[in-house]
Amino acid sequence: MGKTQNLYDRIAAAFFFGVGAFFALYACTIEIGAWNEPGPGFLPFWGGIILVMMSLSLLAITWKRVGLASPSFFPESDSWKRVTATFVALIAYNLVFDVLGFTLATFLFIGFLVKFIFPQSWLRSFIVAASAALIAKLLFVNFLQTQLPKGFLGL
Amino acid sequence: MDLWNHILLGVQVCLDPLNLLFCFIGVVMGTLVGVLPGLGPTAAIAILLPNTFHVSPVTAIIMLAGIYYGAMYGGSTTSILVNIPGEASSVITCLDGYQMARKGRAGAALGIAAFGSFIAGTIAVLGLMLVAPPLAKFALAFGPPEYFSLMLLGIAILIYLAAGSILKALIMAVFGLLIGTIGMDSISATQRLTCGLLELCDGVGLIPAIMGLFGVAEVIANVEQEIKREFVTTRVRNLLPTLQDWKDSIWPMIRGGFLGFFIGILPGPAPVISAFTSYAIEKKLSKHPEKFGTGMIEGVAGPEAANNAATGGAFIPLFTLGIPSNSVIAVLLGAFMIHGIQPGPMLIANHPDLFWGTIISMYIGNAMLLVLNLPLIGIWVQVLKVPYPILFPLILLFCLVGVFSLNYSKVEVSLMIGFGVFGYLARKFQFEMAPLVLALVIGPMMESKLRLSLVISHGSPLIFVEKPISALFLLISLALLISPMISKIGKRRQKLQKIVEGEEV
Repeated sequence: MGKTQNLYDRIAAAFFFGVGAFFALYACTIEIGAWNEPGPGFLPFWGGIILVMMSLSLLAITWKRVGLASPSFFPESDSWKRVTATFVALIAYNLVFDVLGFTLATFLFIGFLVKFIFPQSWLRSFIVAASAALIAKLLFVNFLQTQLPKGFLGL
Repeated sequence: MDLWNHILLGVQVCLDPLNLLFCFIGVVMGTLVGVLPGLGPTAAIAILLPNTFHVSPVTAIIMLAGIYYGAMYGGSTTSILVNIPGEASSVITCLDGYQMARKGRAGAALGIAAFGSFIAGTIAVLGLMLVAPPLAKFALAFGPPEYFSLMLLGIAILIYLAAGSILKALIMAVFGLLIGTIGMDSISATQRLTCGLLELCDGVGLIPAIMGLFGVAEVIANVEQEIKREFVTTRVRNLLPTLQDWKDSIWPMIRGGFLGFFIGILPGPAPVISAFTSYAIEKKLSKHPEKFGTGMIEGVAGPEAANNAATGGAFIPLFTLGIPSNSVIAVLLGAFMIHGIQPGPMLIANHPDLFWGTIISMYIGNAMLLVLNLPLIGIWVQVLKVPYPILFPLILLFCLVGVFSLNYSKVEVSLMIGFGVFGYLARKFQFEMAPLVLALVIGPMMESKLRLSLVISHGSPLIFVEKPISALFLLISLALLISPMISKIGKRRQKLQKIVEGEEV
């Protein structure tokens, strides 16, 4: 059976309920203050309470409503692989680019995405990655004087 | 007389070679961003913001503003040639612009779009010069309650225009307000949810949040499946419209210019609403409404003029009240603050060079766009042919470097990726981004105005209804939020929702 919008809304409601409750409880640990002298926890507390009430309302609505079938979460069977791989590449780049240096990390990052997300030939991927890394270095480091990590190779 | 002196000051500022250069860079970058689908002016301004740190605030704002109105020019190119709007505000241009291109009149469509944008840009700049100073004087009478209610109204308008459920849009707005509370409390200096991270002391960075929500999330949504594009392959020629084209287009352009400017003043996705409204008006006024959608030049001239004029109008709330009316202006607000300038009623008096310099630069920028874009259309067409599998890694790289170079912080890059994940999932779950972004931007301001108002009134929330201007803003907000429950207005809202769907506000 296909997923319905109701299911998505319930998941979202649960998430926002958690966020609201967290902020409201956290606000209690700092000073909420009074109406005539609101403290730093005033807005987080009342905002959290309002978010909890709204997510409960969203939950209640989904219970009453007839669930409309939603299109599948991913439009193609392998979409999830591309999405996950792109996020992983972003995280990996952030983790290693100070160690590898901006130019090398950029070369690997672009090369990976060009080769594996919408697969291109090895030669094309190499040329795109190398030129992107080189142009990015010239643009950001040499021209715009952006301080980017050089890594162990000093690139 | 005073006005002329101010205009002269603006011209003086603008004719500084460095300012001219940055204005040029801004409009060219803006056009490029407008041409490329999947990268909006919000992300582009955010990406380029760190590169303006070494120049004066005036130069920086001139360039960043150029990106905004330049993007409106560029958006029409993709609509006409590829039938894919580079910006949501150019969606309507696809209807007649693409049909004109298929009939071999791509040149005339592109030409009239550029001329229309220039004429409307001129109208907007004149309007901005005349309306902003008196409005700023009026806004001087605003106290904390009026500001709080006005900001609430801004969020209410975005919620009203949000696609889908109002409740979901409200949830996003409150979520944005809560994220906005993270960081050091400006009144008591208490650290709130900073987890000991220095980067969070000043609050969640606006740029990482916007780059994540709009830049990364948009790219990730696009990599789910390959985008196929169909080009009009005939050569683009005869860019100068004929006399008949001018006769057919001049009034739609002027009407679109005025309409766009006034809609632009209101919070919300003004360029897109004004373009659709202009199209509807031209269709109604036309002797041949049945021919709209088959390549009528009026259907290109009016909307293109309207969306460009709306960008000029959108600067008014920023310059006079210090309040952003959409996400692009929100990033510009961030840019003002980073450069140590507080937009608001005192901006025109305290920084006349910035205000008048920016306004005149918009005029000069519009002229640059006109002169540059007609001969450069061939280059933009080539840019459009860069396949998405090669383009998207470059967009992501720009996002990564743009955020990192803000404060050389990997925490902010992680935040951007986090917001990217959230933005991607929120789109899938049909939650609107605009209320979140606006609430995030004005959240800290709203909080301080709320607390100040309550202190002034000794804890009585009635202060917000006792002040007439504040009460009026609240009344309008309330009316907007409950009006969808009235079926007739609810249907009208659904029509508006369809119009603004997908817009970057």
